[in-house]
Amino acid sequence: MDSILISGANRGLGFEFARQYGAEGWRVFGCCRDPATSIELAALAAEAPGRITIHALDVNDHGSIDALSASLSAEPIDVLVNNAGVYHIGERFGAIDYDQWTQVLRTNLFGPMKMAEAFADQVARSMRKVIATLSSGFSSITNARADHIVSYRTSKCAVNMVTKLLADELAARGIIVVALGPGWADTRMGWLSLEAGGNSADMIERAHSITCLRGIIDGLKPADSGRCILYTGADIPR
Amino acid sequence: MPTVLITGASRGIGLEFARQYGAAGWRVIATCRAPARAEQLQALAHDASSFIVHALDVDDFGRIEALAATLAGEAIDVLINNAAVMSSHEGFGETDYDRWARILHTNLLAPMKMAEAFVEHVAESEHKVIAMITSRMANIPTARPDGLVSYRTSKAALNMLTKIVAGYIEGRGIIAVALSPGWAATDMGLGVLAYHDTAGRAVFPDKAPDELINPVESVRGLRRLIENLTPEQTGAALLYDGQPIP
Repeated sequence: MDSILISGANRGLGFEFARQYGAEGWRVFGCCRDPATSIELAALAAEAPGRITIHALDVNDHGSIDALSASLSAEPIDVLVNNAGVYHIGERFGAIDYDQWTQVLRTNLFGPMKMAEAFADQVARSMRKVIATLSSGFSSITNARADHIVSYRTSKCAVNMVTKLLADELAARGIIVVALGPGWADTRMGWLSLEAGGNSADMIERAHSITCLRGIIDGLKPADSGRCILYTGADIPR
Repeated sequence: MPTVLITGASRGIGLEFARQYGAAGWRVIATCRAPARAEQLQALAHDASSFIVHALDVDDFGRIEALAATLAGEAIDVLINNAAVMSSHEGFGETDYDRWARILHTNLLAPMKMAEAFVEHVAESEHKVIAMITSRMANIPTARPDGLVSYRTSKAALNMLTKIVAGYIEGRGIIAVALSPGWAATDMGLGVLAYHDTAGRAVFPDKAPDELINPVESVRGLRRLIENLTPEQTGAALLYDGQPIP
């Protein structure tokens, strides 16, 4: 049975990952900050007790990451999905919130790196050996504009660098490391972009996004390691 | 007389910028954390007619604001965000996240704070340039796991920031560029040659000190770039010899 660990699995794309992989019969480790209030994830887990399980994890708390890894130390994890992330709009030049930027870097950049460090052994003992971090088309420097999204763009650009570095670092252990761009999905995070002036007709359904990403994960080869791949299969422009 | 403001001017590329602009007849505002200990910089200030040294730790955002206020009304033709810190070597599994946060603060957040604080001064000037000193280590396709994750990510993010800032200030006629001095023979450049991994192997065994770029030549190239910038280049990352960094 293939296994997948997902951070931020209580809602949005993280929950959709859990739902779809759960439906495929995978062993799902659904992780979130507050299992007690994660109603949908709890309902999902109740449908497949023991196969879909919920775990407390705050990717901002490295002690939490280490504790979760210790509790799962003997498990093989075929796919590690660094999904938990934060997003802000309205970051105006002249009024940048540096505390917020620092926090965004901690969650979106440090979180995935710490998760990789903490779970490399579990991934290495699996069959598929995949570490996938959610990135974004917003991480493209070529396409970057002054649209008041600074902390998210810089954090995702940096995590693309981490993806490449980890890919080369972990190649010897057979681990494939990629960044995945889910497109503009209709989640709470995605809806925030509407306030920044996006056109809702351009959004995609979260189920479609995750179905596409599952296909990409399924087809990954060692030569793909280090890539930043959009849900369409194209590379995120640099 | 055009004016240049340079952060991290006590040594390395920053000091060389100060020396060359001073010799070229520019007004130089040089900043560093401890002016009293910056002997070479003080010597330049002593010999030149329009050269002033201010104490500035770019991580102290209150101090950045205070300096901007002190210089209120003064036109700054070229703002050079040069002050930066290099990673220590950290192997996989050894990442020091507190240090990484400090490196991001100095190398990424502080240049943004400087840009915000001094945009009016630059807008008042004739040349209107904000330069971020970056690195080819920011380039993702050629990146190698050499234990310098924090430096590499900070410079990759800085290149992204430069593109964003360029868009913000375009309407004011200001050009923002990220400039790489190349691997120069400065304390920073020579310092990484001495790095070893946990197995005791040199991290850069194929690079010798005499292969590093002469800072004089690097800064000459960077100054030429700055002088010849066109609006189309705003947001770009350029190497000291004019090549775009892919």
